[in-house]
Order: sequence, then C-alpha cells, then structure tokens
Amino acid sequence: MLLDRVLGLGAVLLAVPLGLASWGFGLGSPRSPGPGFWPFLVTLSIAALGAALVLRPDRAFRAPGGTGSRWGSLGIALATLGFFVLALEPLGYPVTTGLLLLVQFRWVEGRPWRTSLLAAVLAAAVSFVLFRLVLHVPLPTGVLPLPRGW
Amino acid sequence: MLLHGFAVALTPGNLLYVFLGTIIGTVIGVLPGLGPTASIALMLPVTIGMDMVSALIFLAGIYYGAMYGGSTTSILVNIPGEAASVVTCIDGYQMARQGRAGPALGMSAFGSFVGGTLGVVAVMLISPLLAEAALKFGPPEMFALLFFAFTCVGGLTGKSRARGLLMASLGLLLGTVGTDAIHGVDRFTFGTLYLQDGIALVPLALGLFGMGEILYNIERREESGSVLQTPKDLLPTRQDWKDSWWPIVRGSGVGFGIGILPGGMPAVASLLSYAVERRLAKQPERFGKGAIQGVAGPETANNAATAGGFVPLLTLGIPTNSVLALMLAALMLHGVTPGPLLLFKWPDVFWGVIASMYIGNVMLLILNLPLIGLFVQILKVPYAVLSPLIIMFVLLGAYALNNSVTDVFATILFGIAGYLMKRYGLEPAPLVLAYVIGPMLENNLSKSLILARSAGLSLFFSRPISGTLLGLALLVLAYPLIRRCLGWGGNRPKAATPVSGAP
Repeated sequence: MLLDRVLGLGAVLLAVPLGLASWGFGLGSPRSPGPGFWPFLVTLSIAALGAALVLRPDRAFRAPGGTGSRWGSLGIALATLGFFVLALEPLGYPVTTGLLLLVQFRWVEGRPWRTSLLAAVLAAAVSFVLFRLVLHVPLPTGVLPLPRGW
Repeated sequence: MLLHGFAVALTPGNLLYVFLGTIIGTVIGVLPGLGPTASIALMLPVTIGMDMVSALIFLAGIYYGAMYGGSTTSILVNIPGEAASVVTCIDGYQMARQGRAGPALGMSAFGSFVGGTLGVVAVMLISPLLAEAALKFGPPEMFALLFFAFTCVGGLTGKSRARGLLMASLGLLLGTVGTDAIHGVDRFTFGTLYLQDGIALVPLALGLFGMGEILYNIERREESGSVLQTPKDLLPTRQDWKDSWWPIVRGSGVGFGIGILPGGMPAVASLLSYAVERRLAKQPERFGKGAIQGVAGPETANNAATAGGFVPLLTLGIPTNSVLALMLAALMLHGVTPGPLLLFKWPDVFWGVIASMYIGNVMLLILNLPLIGLFVQILKVPYAVLSPLIIMFVLLGAYALNNSVTDVFATILFGIAGYLMKRYGLEPAPLVLAYVIGPMLENNLSKSLILARSAGLSLFFSRPISGTLLGLALLVLAYPLIRRCLGWGGNRPKAATPVSGAP
C-alpha cells in the first residue's frame, strides 16, 4: 500500500518538472507537433498513473527469495563495478577484469584463494582472447606488455 | 518453382552458408551487446565476394540464428539477447528457477521452428496479396497498433496494471532522450554528448535485467541454497506439449501478421502474443511464474514475424526493420533491385531465399536440441561461480557495443536501478518494451497528425483499421473500470507469492 503511494507520489513529482521541460521544447500545434509534444503527453500519462497509484494502491508487496540481506557483499560488488569503470582504459581489460573477478570470487562469493585466483585469471584471459582476437572487438590492453599486432 | 529454389539452396556451398550463418547467428544472439543488426552490418562486406543468393542465404541464417540464440540467455540468466527476447525472460527465467530450463529451452526451440516454418510457408503462398494488405497500413494504423501493443505492455505482469503502465510510461520517456529526429532539438540530454544519441538498448537491457538480477541475488542470497534449482527434466512433458499447442498456433498467426507490417518488429509480435496468451489462458495467474505458454507463444511469434518481414522486402522492396534494411543493402550491392519485379527477374533469389529459410529453420532445430543439454549443464554450476562470470559478461557486452566506458557506466547505473526495481516489485520488462516502441509511436503520431491537417485526432477514428485498434486499446485500458462498475468478478490482483515455490 505504502509503496504504491510513494511510487505514485514520486511519479507525479517527477512528471511536473519533466512536463514543464517538454513544454519548453515547444508543443507546436496538433497540426504540426513540436519536439515537446510527445514528451509532454508522456509526462501527462506518468502524472495520471502516479495519481491513480496514490488513490488506489495495491496490496503490500513482498520481495521474493532469500532470508538475510548481504549488504556487505553488495557493497563490495558495487565497489568492484566502480573500480572497473575507472580502471578499464588505464589498466586495460585483462588486468581490470582479472582483479574484478578475483575480488568477486574471493570476497563476494567467499571462495578460497586458490580457486578465486585461478578462476579470475582464466576467465579474464579466455574472454580477452575470445573477444579481441577471434571477434576483433578492440578491448583496451592497458598496462599489459603484449606483442604488437595483438 | 519452389523445387528450383530447393535445388539452388541445397548446393553444398549454400548449405555451408546456411550452416555458418545459423551458427554465427546463434552465438551472436547468445552474446549480449551484439545484436543481429550489428552483426549483419559487420558481415555485409564479407558477402560481397559471394554470389547474391548465397549472400542472402548467409545473412538470413544469421538473422534467424540470432532469434534462437537470444532466447537462450533470456531463459538461463534473465538477460535478453535482443528486444524480441525480453518477453521470454518473464516466464522463461522463472521456469529455469524452478528447475525447468530444459522444457523452456526445448519449447522455445520448437516454437521458433514452427513459427519460422509456418511463416515461410505463408511468405511463399500469399506474398503478393499480403503485400497489398500491408500497404493499407499507414501511419494512423501503425500508431493505433503500437498503442494497442502499449496497453498490452501494461498488463504484462498482472500484479498491478497501473504500476505496469507507469513503468511503460517511464520507458516511453526514456525513449525520448536524445536528439529529436524531426526537429533536431536535444531533449533531456542535460548538455552531454553521450545522451544525444539517446539511451542505447544494450546498456538499458543488460543493466536492468542482467546486472539488476545479479546485484539482487548478491544481496539476497541464502547461505547454502542456489538461485536456480537443479534442472529436473530435459525435455518438455506431455502436459507442456498440450499447453503449448495453441499458443504456438496463435503465435504463428500473430507473429506473421505483425511481421508483414511496416515497422513490424519481432519484439512487438512477441509482446502481443504474450498478451493474447495471458488473456486466453485458463489460469492467467500462472503467467509470470513460469507458465510455458508465456514462452511458447512469444518465441513462435518472433520467429514468424522474422519470416513475415521478408514479404514486403521481397515483393515490394520495402524493409520493415533495420535488419531487413541491411538485407536490402545486400541485395542492392549484388545488383538486385527488390520490388514487384524481383520474382520475375531474379526468381533464383526469391525461391532460393525461401528454400534456405526452410533449411535454416530445420538446421536450427537440430543444432539447438542437443545444445539444450549443454546449456542446462551450465545451470548446474554453482551460482556463486556463475555470478561473477555473468558480471564479466555483462560488462564486456556493454563495452563491446561502442568501445565506450560510458556505456559500461550506464549499464551499471541501470543495474542499480534494476536492483531497486526488483527489490520493490517493479517490472523492467514493460519499461524496456515501451522504450523500444516509443520512438515509433511518436513518429507515427506526428506523421498522422500532419497528414490529418485540420481533422486532428478524429482521423484515427474515421479510418476503419485504426479506429478498431484504438477502440480495442481503450477497451483494454478501461476493462478493470468496467468490471468494477458492472460489479463483475471483483478479483483484485493477487499479491505476489514467493517465486521459488514448485510449479
């Protein structure tokens, strides 16, 4: 109930500035619609549906699955993702991916050191070879000292 | 004539091309970030050296294969391979979670086969007639059809129609981001260059579906259990066949009908098939929890739509989506001018392609059935090992799209959004589907309004086809209200039950 109401309210609050922005793009006329015409219609729809949710909320929703919440693991996972984005081009794909996978296997999934290291190196190497050499996707090599032409 | 076509298609060289094409297509369909459009564009130069029939056969094989491959990842890991497979995620993945990945994959392959084959038969038999009928679909009719599809999107998940439509509307909004096609005005780009092209489908879908699911499972994992139950059967049961029979038949019809229309995307076809099956099912509440009809129907429809798309291409020279536009380019590269004369001037091309589509379908079925066993083995790997690998896959796919770290960043942001959505019971499928059809909705609306001049909105209702479709759409929207007013039923949408229950 509460969730729907919050969602609905959020939707209405979102629709207002976006609707104004659409207005700003220029609505044109029904004969010759401007760039803002369609977005404005969409924001109207969002506002209307948001209001409907606030007025007629559904019963409470219970997220399926799992008992505990592993916030720590989630935090680590998100941190690795952030690291990946920052390090991909400077450090190159193999190194960055290898590190990401290592942290994931070892700390997010709790596998032992040897398995994590092995799996990380293997997966990073295989995917790199497959995509860069076989499929010709230019993945950044970064700090890895590879022979020319790779 | 068809026999001649088979003679052309069954030469060893062409058979090889069909084989190669379908394999490459399947791999591409499975890999996120590489859709059929991009791969056909990549392969186009390769085909210059081939003769024209072989080239078309090869490219058609890729297209078909990609349709098959995209559903594999949808079912196994809830990552749609392309827009047409988004709908398969809904029930297909749930089936996998219940240990029924084998039947899901099997029925998906079989449905695809039937849809593709029946589609080809229809192409062969009634091409000229169909082409004429399709021409009657102008912008107002397309808008009405897409609007009808949009209203179905809202009802996809059944927990709450308003919520579904809200998600869909947000999807429409996301579709407006970027430079407006008609006026060249930047909308919602916040001054960044990245957003001028709009939000790409790949980061959106990979993030919301793939990354979101992974993040959610990381947060919610039970210590011992695995997310996916060990697969029980490999093949569909008798009950599955009984349940899927009609959805497959209907899916073929719906899919082919959508495919021949301009802008007839397999994604729209799969969506409408899902809506139809849900509406007609004896137990609609099972949809969203692993109902095999939710896999059989849409998968059949998207392959039938793929076949249907060839009708306007081969008979009128009109490509109805971007993949077929590339095929048109391929034809023209080889000196063929598609159009009403294609059949007469280059019968080899027409019949050769038709015959190869038959063969391609058979080949894909044969290829995929043993692969089911292999794919199901993948599921036996503990999720703790799969999860980081899937993350790597997703990030790789996102980067491979445009060599852009920004795409990866966008995928991660959408992943976080997807996680939050899953946590609070919001479905990503309506959002992504609406995002895909949004630009076409707007385009057709604008064209219709310009066409209408002073008639304005009444144009939609004065034309018979669009009037009917819009009427249907409004009925669908108003249905809950009508039921309440007339005191029928009185079923409120059921609250979600835990998904890990037995089927």
